[in-house]
Amino acid sequence: MKNKRFASILLALAITAASLAGCSGGSSANSAPASTPAAEQSAAPSEQGTDWSNFKIGQITSLVVNDGGWCQATNQSILRAMQSLGIPEENLITIENVSEEQVAVENAYNALVSEGVNLIIGASSGYAAFLSDLAPQNPDVIIAQQGARTENLIGYQIRNYEGMFLAGYACALMSESKTLGFAASMSEASVRAAINGFALGAKYADPEEKVQVVWANSWYDVDIETQSAQTLINQGIKYMGMEASSPAVPQTCEANGAYCIGYNVDMEELAPKAVLFSYVWNFAPIFEKIIASAADGTANPDDYYYEGGDSSAISDFNSELVPEDVQKKVLQVKEDIASGKIKVYGGELKDNKGNVLVAAGETMSDEQIVAQEFLVDNVIGDWQ
Amino acid sequence: MTALITSVCAAAIVYAVSVLYAAVGEIFSQRAGIMNLGVEGVMLMGAVSGFLTAYYTNSKMLALLAAIVTGALLGLIYAFLTVTLQADQTVCGMAFLTFGSGLSGFIGKNVTGIASPVKFDKIALPLLSQIPFIGDVLFHQNLLVYLMYLIIPLSMFYIYRTRPGMILRSLGENPAALDTAGINVFALRYAYVIFGCSMIAVSGVCISLAYTNFWNEGMTGGKGWIAFSLVAFSEWNPTKAALGALLFGGISIVGMNMQIYLPGVPSQVYSALPYLATVAAFILSTGSFRKKHTEEPAALCCSYDRESR
Repeated sequence: MKNKRFASILLALAITAASLAGCSGGSSANSAPASTPAAEQSAAPSEQGTDWSNFKIGQITSLVVNDGGWCQATNQSILRAMQSLGIPEENLITIENVSEEQVAVENAYNALVSEGVNLIIGASSGYAAFLSDLAPQNPDVIIAQQGARTENLIGYQIRNYEGMFLAGYACALMSESKTLGFAASMSEASVRAAINGFALGAKYADPEEKVQVVWANSWYDVDIETQSAQTLINQGIKYMGMEASSPAVPQTCEANGAYCIGYNVDMEELAPKAVLFSYVWNFAPIFEKIIASAADGTANPDDYYYEGGDSSAISDFNSELVPEDVQKKVLQVKEDIASGKIKVYGGELKDNKGNVLVAAGETMSDEQIVAQEFLVDNVIGDWQ
Repeated sequence: MTALITSVCAAAIVYAVSVLYAAVGEIFSQRAGIMNLGVEGVMLMGAVSGFLTAYYTNSKMLALLAAIVTGALLGLIYAFLTVTLQADQTVCGMAFLTFGSGLSGFIGKNVTGIASPVKFDKIALPLLSQIPFIGDVLFHQNLLVYLMYLIIPLSMFYIYRTRPGMILRSLGENPAALDTAGINVFALRYAYVIFGCSMIAVSGVCISLAYTNFWNEGMTGGKGWIAFSLVAFSEWNPTKAALGALLFGGISIVGMNMQIYLPGVPSQVYSALPYLATVAAFILSTGSFRKKHTEEPAALCCSYDRESR
């Protein structure tokens, strides 16, 4: 009996320790990106004269902020935006590992509000519905939410198809075969936009280029992502794009002498013999605008930021793998997209069922791009 | 086509091995009468301890050793709770799951998403790897796979053909009888739980240093549960566990290829195939299909208490 009581106490201690460990990344001040010397962080008023010393930002992430993927890209973007505006890095409060469920999001929200944050950034689209319900409780706290437009929340999203267009273009330039691969996660509009962007870029380089897509049906699964890449390689595909969270695709490519475009963050270090360059989410320009509007009181829940250009970024080229002429061509296409010379969703554009999506001379609207439910005509595979 | 089949079979073996270490470890533990529901947590601890050691020492053998020691330490704690203190094994297992998941995330926080300088690369075995098809499938694998080729027959021999194996089986069936015969039930249960947890931790290394060479929180992605299910599925038999793991791995890999060869079917159907196969296998191995005698150790989950004999 005594033993059992002792066991119960031990178990309670173990569970408490585990919970504490699990929440260890919980509420913490963040470290700046490697390129941000601490000395440069200043609480002094910025050039515009705004005193940022009391402006606090809260960040809610679904994983840890150095996950090597989406959360890391978001976190680094916030830190870059803060650095650019002159906001001290200790003014960022992060709550990690917040699952996409009401109780978890509500707890995180209440914790950040009690810490006196002025702006909350919800870094996962699954938080939208819950944050939308919570927002009216504290109208002074601005909430910026990644994903589609949602009531009470400032929305933001990146035109990922622009960066992916460059990825597909580069792969097609380098590939000797007429088929590229794409390892996709879940069939969601932004993922379909990535596939379509990649395929349209490939087609821009070579009108006969096709893109074979395989779905993992998971946002994060090392096994399945490995199998996705291996399946494509087994088809004789040597160049591929990805919309997957782990480095499994690049590492499988490396082990099999294939090549890919990294995703989320610069993945060259994880597979230096396979990653040509990476598609990188750069939210910093968007966050700068949101923070500035929140600080000067002009932020409006109807605001929506859907941006490309520097936000839909690519990392430095892997010069060991990407020839200089290809690098130059890719950078030229990047400029042409920015200048409007290339319209990624310009007509005539057909889906892979033969339907005309955009007539010749016209361009698809943002509403259609954001909610796209199609795969373009040179994609092999289905989205449903 | 041959290249495709070879690749699918080779990948199925890699997948199977990554869950088999845990399944075999759990078989030994459950054969001794102790169930550990926290397989996933121990796997994660093995994955992170192995990765950290590889990252800081550049030695994969030290990494393997570190994971084994980590597993052994966790096994010691688990045995203390379940054997000495006779705590409820279900509750302890769940606590270990939470504990391992949380603690691994904490200690691996600074190395998340970074590549380790070493990993268990594929080694082509001389001569054997030259055999057409079989050589490519079986003998172009990493060290942990080759070790598993030995572990399965050795564990079968140990469990079914040796005296210690007979004692192990009795430990899970009737520990009181062993105690009466003068065998130390407590010490043996400690030993098998520690061994089991060490094996489970090696499964973690398969994922963080053989499958890939990076660490991320929760990267085992439910494989611990698959390993746990394999134990009952295999009727506590390592060979059947190996077949089950190959079946599960093979079907999931074939499913991915079917997206290309049978594109009209929604990809979600293929993703569900391994689970449907598991359900089908369970149905066939239970209910009216099942033989009268069950292999489940009679004393599984029952703490042994001399006073209440």
